[in-house]
Amino acid sequence: MEYKRPSSLKPTPSGFCPGCMHSLATKLIADVIEELGQQENCVHVAPVGCATLNLAYWKGDIIGAAHGRAPAVATGFKRTNPDRLVFAYQGDGDCAAIGLAEIMGAANRGENFTVIFFNNQTYGMTGGQMAPTTLIGQKTTTTRYGRDPLTTGYPLKMCELLATLEAPAFISRYALNTPKGCMEARKAIKKGFTLQMENKGFSFIELLGNCPTNWGLTPLQTMEYMDTNTIPYFVPGVYKDKYAEVK
Amino acid sequence: MAKQLVKGNEAIAEAAVRAGCRFFAGYPITPQNEIPEYLSWRLPEVGGVFVQGESEVASVNMVYGAAASGCRAMTSSSGPGISLKSEGISYLAGTQLPAVIVNISRGGPGLGSIQPAQQDYLQATKAMGHGGFHVMVFAPATLQEAVDLTYDAWEYAERDRNPVLILMDGCLGSIMEQVEFPPMKEPDRKGTHAWDLNLKEGEKRNGRLLTPYFPEALLEIKNKSHKMMIEKWQRNDVKVEEFMVDDAEYVVVAYGISARVAKEAILRLREEGENVGMIRPITLSPFPKQSFRNLNYDQVKGIIDVELAIPAQMHDDIALEVLGRAPIYEYCRSGGLLFDDEGIYAAVKKIIDGGAK
Amino acid sequence: MKKSLVISGSGGQGVMSAGIMIAQTAVDADKYATFLPEYGPEQRGGSAKCTVVVNDSEIISPLMAKCDTLIVMNEQAYAKFGKTLKSGGVMIANTSRITSEITRDDVTVVRVPADDLAVELGNIKCANIILIGALIGAEAGIITEEAMLASLDKKFASKKAEVLALNHAALAKGVAYGKEAIHK
Repeated sequence: MEYKRPSSLKPTPSGFCPGCMHSLATKLIADVIEELGQQENCVHVAPVGCATLNLAYWKGDIIGAAHGRAPAVATGFKRTNPDRLVFAYQGDGDCAAIGLAEIMGAANRGENFTVIFFNNQTYGMTGGQMAPTTLIGQKTTTTRYGRDPLTTGYPLKMCELLATLEAPAFISRYALNTPKGCMEARKAIKKGFTLQMENKGFSFIELLGNCPTNWGLTPLQTMEYMDTNTIPYFVPGVYKDKYAEVK
Repeated sequence: MAKQLVKGNEAIAEAAVRAGCRFFAGYPITPQNEIPEYLSWRLPEVGGVFVQGESEVASVNMVYGAAASGCRAMTSSSGPGISLKSEGISYLAGTQLPAVIVNISRGGPGLGSIQPAQQDYLQATKAMGHGGFHVMVFAPATLQEAVDLTYDAWEYAERDRNPVLILMDGCLGSIMEQVEFPPMKEPDRKGTHAWDLNLKEGEKRNGRLLTPYFPEALLEIKNKSHKMMIEKWQRNDVKVEEFMVDDAEYVVVAYGISARVAKEAILRLREEGENVGMIRPITLSPFPKQSFRNLNYDQVKGIIDVELAIPAQMHDDIALEVLGRAPIYEYCRSGGLLFDDEGIYAAVKKIIDGGAK
Repeated sequence: MKKSLVISGSGGQGVMSAGIMIAQTAVDADKYATFLPEYGPEQRGGSAKCTVVVNDSEIISPLMAKCDTLIVMNEQAYAKFGKTLKSGGVMIANTSRITSEITRDDVTVVRVPADDLAVELGNIKCANIILIGALIGAEAGIITEEAMLASLDKKFASKKAEVLALNHAALAKGVAYGKEAIHK
C-alpha cells in the first residue's frame, strides 16, 4: 500500500500546529472522497475555529459558514442541490456550544448530509479556552484551576445526545490516537458518505483528537492523555446505525 | 390577469414564488406568519423547498446555503427575529450572496408588541448586521407595490450580490386589497451565476470558495467596492413618490402605511387651500436625497416627519439633506398605535397655524 | 363613493369573516376594497375588529378615525366604537349581546338580535350574515343583496345545500330588519 497525498487535497503544507490531529482527520476525509470518486462533486461546509483551517488545502467546493451554523448552511445547500455530496466539518464550540440548535435541528430533520465533528476538548483558534467538551479538572485559559462541574457543568457527549433522536441514520465516535482508531474512523466516514449518496439521511461521525499547543503537552503525551482521560469519558463506538448492512 | 383580493403577507409570498424564489426558511413570529404558512404548501407545488427552521438564526443560514447553490432564496420575520437574523444577513453581505429578507415590522424594542410599527428604520438602513455594510431597503405602501418590489428584489440582489430587505409594517402585512400578480419567472438553476456552486451540465469543476473571511488587503478592496456600490444606488436606484411638492409650503415625509394615511390628510388640507405635499421614500436605502435637494427652500416653511416610531428614526436622514434650510417637525406614534386621517390632519394643521414647535 | 365600515366583537363571532366577505363582494362587483384586521394575541375570545373600505377608485388610506357604518356585535364593541360612527351613519347592533341603551340619535340604528335569530335558524354561526343582511337592508350603500348572495354561494360552493339555504335565510332575515329600521 502506497502512503500518498489524496488527490482531493492541494499540495500545500499543513497550517495546523505540529502534531495536531486535524491534519489526520482532513486526510482521512480526503482519502474517502478520492476512493468514492467524489472530488468534483463534494461540497465542504467550513465552520469557524481551527476546523476551518483545512479549507486552504481542500480542492473541492467550499462554503464558509458562520460559527455554529454549518448544519443550517448545509441544509439550505443540500436541499436545493441534492446531487452534491455535502459535509460539514465542525469543532467543539461550533458543534456542541454555539451551534447546538443547528446540529440538533439538522439531525432531527434527518437532513441528507454528513457532519464530521472533531472533538479536542478545547477552543484552539481563540487560544485554549474551555470547550463544552473540556474534561472535568482539565485546565484551560478560562478554567485556570481545572473545569469545575459545579459552575461549568459536564463535558457534553454529542453522540449520546444525538442518538436519542429518531431520524439520524448513523452516529458513531472514534479516537484518532491509534492506527486502529484511524482505520475505523475512515470506514465510518466512508459509510456516512455512502449513506448520503444513497439518500439514506443524516450521519454524524465524532473524531476524538488532540491539541498539543493548548493542552501544553507534546504530541506523544497527548496520545497517552487521550488513552487515560479522553477515551474513558468519550467512549468510542457506534451509537446509532439504521443501516448495519452498509459498509 | 384579473386583480385578486389578497392579504399583504400572502401577496409578498406569491410574488416571491413568481420571481423564481424556490427556497424559504423561517421561524414563526407575528405579524408575518402567513408568509411561511403560504410558502409551506406553495413552494412544493413549484418544485421549491420550504424549511421551518429551528430558529431565526438557523433559517437565515439555510438561506445562505441555498443562495450558495444558485437558488433564489428568501426568509421573513419581524423585529425580534430580524435581530437574530442580522448575523446571517451580515454573512450574506460578506460572502456576497444574493437573498431577499422580509421584515414585517412591529413595535419595539425587545419583544415590543405584535402590533404594527415602523421601529426598525435605523436597523434596516444603517446597520442590518455587524461590519458596516448596507442593503437596499424597499418600503412598499400598497400591496401592489409590495408585489412589484418583491418580484424585482432578486434582480437587484443578484446584480449587486448583496441581500435586499423588504421593510413593511404589520398593518400592510395583514391588510387585504386587490393586486395583480406578474407572470411566473423560471428560476435559472444552470450554474451560470458567478457565485453559485451549482455544476453546469457535464461540468467537472470545483475548488471554488465562497467565504465570508478575507485577508486584510483584499477585505479593504471589498469594502471599497461596497462603498462604490452604495454610491451607485444613490445615482441609479432611488425610488420615490413626490406628491404635490411643486408648490408645497409644508412637506410631509412618510413611508409605508403612514404615507397612505398622510396622503388622505393632505388631500383634505389641499381642499382647505393649504399648500401641503409629501415626499414618500419607496427605497429607504438608497434614501431619496435628491428630492430634498430639489425643494425650493424660499417657499418651504416646514418639513414634517410622520412615522410610526418614537423617537423618530428617519429624522436624521431628512436633516442631512435639509441642512437647516427649513424647520423639521415630527408627528409620530408608536407601540402599535396607528395613525388616522384626522390625527395627521390636526397635527399638520397645528404646525401650519404655528402652534407646534 | 368611498364608504368605510367597522365591524367589532369578540374573537369567534365571525368579525373577520364578515369583513372579508364584504370586501370580496365589493371586489367581485368591480369596486376597490381594503380589509384591515386588528386583534389581540389571543387565538380565541379576545377583542376583534376590522375595517373595510369600499370605493369606486383606488383607496388611498385604509385607516380612518371615523367610519360611515358600524356593526357592533357585543357590549364592549359598542362601548369602544359607538362614538367613532360619523353623524348620519348607520349602526347595526347585535342586541343579543348589547344590553345598554343605544343613545345616539344622529345615526340610523338597526337593532338586530342576531344571535337569537341565528339560533332560531339553526346555527349560531350565521349571526354575522344576519348582521350583513341588516347592513344591506338599511341601505348603507356598500354592497347589494344580489352581490352578497352570489358571493356567499361562491364561498360555500363546496358545502351542502342546507348550508347555502341557511345563508340565504340568514341574509334575508337581516335585510328585513334593516328595511324595517329605515322605513319606520
